[in-house]
Amino acid sequence: MEHTRSSGAPVGVADMMTESDFPSRTTLDAETAVLSEGSTDTREVAARRWVTEHGDMLWRFAMARTRSSEAAEEIVQETVLAAMQSYGRFTGGSSERTWLMGIAAHKIADHFRRVRRAKSPGMAGISPDATCVCSTCRGMFTGDGMWACTAGKWPDLKLSEAEKKEQADMLRACIDALPPGQSEAVWMRDILGIPAAEVCKAMGLTDTNLWTRMHRARVALRSCLETKFGVRKGKGQ
Amino acid sequence: MTGFVRDMARVLTMRCREHVVLFSRQLDTPLSRGEAFGLRVHVLYCGGCRRFREHLVHLASLGRELAAQSGREPGLPADVRTRIYARVATATKKN
Repeated sequence: MEHTRSSGAPVGVADMMTESDFPSRTTLDAETAVLSEGSTDTREVAARRWVTEHGDMLWRFAMARTRSSEAAEEIVQETVLAAMQSYGRFTGGSSERTWLMGIAAHKIADHFRRVRRAKSPGMAGISPDATCVCSTCRGMFTGDGMWACTAGKWPDLKLSEAEKKEQADMLRACIDALPPGQSEAVWMRDILGIPAAEVCKAMGLTDTNLWTRMHRARVALRSCLETKFGVRKGKGQ
Repeated sequence: MTGFVRDMARVLTMRCREHVVLFSRQLDTPLSRGEAFGLRVHVLYCGGCRRFREHLVHLASLGRELAAQSGREPGLPADVRTRIYARVATATKKN
């Protein structure tokens, strides 16, 4: 069973908010919390340094995931405020940049939990047990664990720049459709290439949690891309 | 050596459903030499797993393209930066 450590607003009122509530939302967790460690000046200096050194990276991460400057601003702000709260508890197990990315990943996942629940309670992205899109089979594997059918060959990797961009956009859309938590892990691990150990530390996952999450996400992405490519399937093995 | 043979034998007797888990895990952590060798042998005769591995390579390539695209996007806008600095100052004063 996967375990997700949520650092955002508790389930409740926040889940009922709509996307348009985000720019005006002021009830941040960090706002009311007591900044427990480090002197005031030290924390402020650190927070300003984070914004200076890592602000661009946090912004691109949040924008890439939300594609909304209002939501991205809120996420970066919440990330910095939450990091201030945790100031002094950063153990150095991952780089400071990855630590901030981990906090941002939780904030982004929380954002999508709120938005998705507000928009459509039943929509939870792609099923973790992604199925083959082949019309002749209902899943990737038969009951005894063998391939139900051989997947089709994907378009050539030696693509023109325009085709590459088109495929990358498809991948982005597929990542967006993953359940919250999975998409952030994929972004950190497979897009930004952050080492698995650092992603585990930053997202509060065990190795096994991460492997399971990544495997489910990759299978789902493969299935999603296959649909978008419209690849024809071969006959069963 | 015993461990190598044991791991390889285990992988070779697995079902493809388990092989795909190993292909994915291999991207996150090194497999044992026996497991890695077992997988290499398995794809020699399993078209389904060979294709799955190709798709993972393709996914990784698109991931790099997406990273490059994202890296070319603009950074934190100046007005947002200013508002966050102000927010940080307010949060500090409250405590």
